[in-house]
This record gives sequence, C-alpha cells and structure tokens, in this order.
Amino acid sequence: MNPLIFTTILMTVLLGTMIVMMSSHWLMIWIGFEMNLLAIIPILMKKYNPRTMEASTKYFLTQATASMLLMMAIIINLMHSGQWTITKVFNPTASIIMTSALAMKLGLTPFHFWVPEVTQGISLTSGLILLTWQKLAPMSILYQISPSINLNILLTMAVLSILVGGWGGLNQTQLRKIMAYSSIAHMGWMTAVLVYNPTLTMLNMLIYIMMTLTMFMLFIHSSSTTTLSLSHTWNKTPLTTTLILITLLSMGGLPPLSGFMPKWMIIQELTKNNSIILPTLMAIMALLNLYFYMRLTYSTSLTMFPSTNNMKMKWQFETKRITLLPPLIVMSSLLLPLTPMLSILD
Amino acid sequence: MMTYIVFILSVIFVVSFVGFSSKPSPIYGGLVLIVSGGVGCGIIMNFGGSFLGLMVFLIYLGGMLVVFGYTTAMATEQYPEVWVSNTTVMGVFLLGLLMEVMLVLYVLKSEEVGVVFKFSGMGDWAIYDTGDSGVFSEEIMGVAALYSYGAWVVIVTGWSLFVGVLVILEVTRGD
Repeated sequence: MNPLIFTTILMTVLLGTMIVMMSSHWLMIWIGFEMNLLAIIPILMKKYNPRTMEASTKYFLTQATASMLLMMAIIINLMHSGQWTITKVFNPTASIIMTSALAMKLGLTPFHFWVPEVTQGISLTSGLILLTWQKLAPMSILYQISPSINLNILLTMAVLSILVGGWGGLNQTQLRKIMAYSSIAHMGWMTAVLVYNPTLTMLNMLIYIMMTLTMFMLFIHSSSTTTLSLSHTWNKTPLTTTLILITLLSMGGLPPLSGFMPKWMIIQELTKNNSIILPTLMAIMALLNLYFYMRLTYSTSLTMFPSTNNMKMKWQFETKRITLLPPLIVMSSLLLPLTPMLSILD
Repeated sequence: MMTYIVFILSVIFVVSFVGFSSKPSPIYGGLVLIVSGGVGCGIIMNFGGSFLGLMVFLIYLGGMLVVFGYTTAMATEQYPEVWVSNTTVMGVFLLGLLMEVMLVLYVLKSEEVGVVFKFSGMGDWAIYDTGDSGVFSEEIMGVAALYSYGAWVVIVTGWSLFVGVLVILEVTRGD
C-alpha cells in the first residue's frame, strides 16, 4: 500500500479509538466506533488474497451489527432519559442491548465465533492490532457504563468466555487461533470483575496487552504461524526459545510472573464480595488455557520437536530487529513484585 | 387521519427501507430510496422542521441520489433484478412486510400509538421570539450551531467521509 495512505489510515484507527475514549456525547462515541471500523478494514486486507478478504468481511459484518445495536441502545436511552451524555444508562433494556453490543465488539461468548476466524485469516501484524488496540475502545465504554450493567448477563458472558476460550483453544495448532482463544478467555476475566472493581479490569487489560504484544512480536521475529514452525526456533535464535517459554507461562497466569497479578487481584476482589464459587470456577477453567500454553512450550522450548534432519541445520535471512521486544519481555514477566503499588489507585 | 399522519408516513418509511434492503438491483433500490426520502421529509415537516425536510430533498435526493443514479446506470446489467424476479429477494421483502404488518397491528390494537409518538413527547422544535429580529426556529439554529459550537463534529464527520473514500479506493484497488 502507498505509505502515505497507509499512515493516514493507521492514524485514523488511532483517532477513532481516541474519539471513543474522549467523548461525552453518545453520538460521537458511535462515530468513533464507525471510524475505527472503517479504517481498520484495509489494514486487515493488507495482503490481497481471498482469505484476508473473507476475514475482513466477517469482521466488518459483526462489528457493523454491534454498532447498530449500540445505536439502538443509545436511542432507547435517549427516549427514556432525554439526554445524550455518557453516564449510567438508566433504562434496563438499553443497558442490556448496550452490553450485548459491546460484548460483540470485544468477542465475548456467545459472540466469540468471529475472533478465531478473523485472526487466522490476516497477517500477524494485523492480528496484533486486532487483538490489542481494538479492545481498548469497547472496554473504555464498558468501564464508563459499569454502574448500570446487568450483573447476571455480564457474569454469564464472562464465565462462558473463560470456558470457551480455554476449551476452544485445546485443539489448535495454528498460533493465531491460539492467540484468538486466549484473547476470548482474557476478555472473560476482565469483564467478570467489571461490576465489582473496574480498576482491576483496566489493570488486566494493561497486562494482557503487554503479554499479547510480546507473544505476537516473538512470533513475528521468528516468522512462525504454526506450532511446527515455532518449534524450530531453537535452531534459529535460541534465546527467543527461552523467552517464549517465560512469556507463555506468564500468559497462563503462573506466579512469580506478571500474568499472575491480574488473576490474583481479580480472585481477591471477587471473594471480598462474597462470591466464592465463581472465582473457583474461573481459576479452574484458566487451567485449560494453561494446558495449551504448556503444550506450546513443550514443543518449543522443552523438547526438540520431531523434524527432518535438514531442519536442524537451518539458515535464514537477517532477523528482523524489533526494538520494543526486550522491554516488553521484561515487563510481561517481571512485574509481579510491583503489586503493592496498586494501593495508589484508591 | 391527520392525527395519525406521522404514523402512516413512518409505516411507508419502513416499508420502503424493507424494499431496498431486500436487495434488488441498485437502480430499484434508488427508486425506493427516493420514496423513503420524500416520506422522511414529510415526517420531519410534521414536527415543524421545514428547513431540514427541504434539505433532504435538495441535498440528499437532488445531489447524492442523482450521482448514485448516474453511476449505477453506468454499471448496470442487462436484466436487473426486481423484487419478483428472484425467489430470495421476494422472500425477504415479504418477510419484512409481514413483520411490519404485525408491528402495525400490535401498535394499533394495544392503543399504544404512544409508542410511536414518544419522541414527540419531547416537543417539536421550539420557536424563539427575540423581539427585535423576528422569530427563529430551533432547528435552523441547530444547523447553525453545528458550524459554531459543533466545529469538532464537523471536523470528525468531514474526516470520516474523507477516510471513507480512501478506504474504499484502497479496498477496491487490489494488488
């Protein structure tokens, strides 16, 4: 793509999300969502083949439907409260419709079906933008309307998302689909604590974005999109093999790595609010996630995956230099001791 | 009938929307879009917004739809699809009509025509009387406010339209 046009369209994606996060008028928020959607379509279609076109179409259809539902919720809210400012959504019908619309945008169950298919059809860099930046705008709106969200619907969607994210990722060997299911599960964790303590949602979002950025950059660095090609990294760059191990375990939520921090805080917050069965179930279902991360580490870092003999003497072109990668790796694995600093958020 | 004129016009509005969203050939879609534009103008005029209604006719129908009609006429096929030519199109159209009929029956039966008129509970556009320079209507003031207090909206919508063109060109350009 022409670099000038690519830059313009990428800046428009950023501008769309900024407008959603900054606006106080519901119509401007809707405009921001539409601008974001419109501008990300050519980014998803950067490589021009039928798979990317199909993935972009699926993404456009689901997100446009979600925007329409959002507009209907906005108008029902207008009808019952007579004002356009973004505060609590006073009408329960409007609140339910808005929660469903934002869940469709985020990829929560039962609206999760587009996430693996769209992530699989596009390139790794586009998948990175899709799974990290595109989650910011809907989550900011959920944060702002969190006092009025119907608890039953949100918690049902959250728990089902954790289950689907863990269960659906079990049979995958394609890395992009694994990351998509991991995104579904993490969104479930984030929305489970939204009604109790929205700050933890933001904390989880922050750490999730760091870890997903790290994983995607490691994949881009070794140009691997399947488990098989990831298992050859010991031959190409042995250091990234260890880093993949550490980052994947962090994503699985193991102490003493940073991925444990959001899960710990969320479980603590849920138990403070007298719900014990729910966090137990959530923690158990997070084990499914951990299982397929462990399977990736097993084939990548812990064993030499079976391959033909000429794979053991690979040569490659000069590796891409990703400047942001080392700080990201450090942040996504070593942040746990900073947990007491969260007390400044009160 | 005059008390229910907004309701009747809105029913025709929805029926013509069903007409073009059941996807006949674009030229027929443009035809019902003209009908829906005219009827929408009528609805707005019933709330006192004569300026905005006439803007629909001038800018929307007389500007944008004319350009759309010309480009569609350049790209049309020899036997364009009508609503009755294709089973799918006719099926969707009849389904939409059926749903609209059921909704109309529900609204009329339950005497809840208030469900349509709830918006008018917020009042028509207010009319100000400043005394020295005559009578202002709120809707024209709203359009003027778009360009003064609402400059950010103009910037955002203008940029969205511009990027929309860029995106469409980029998507259809291919390799």
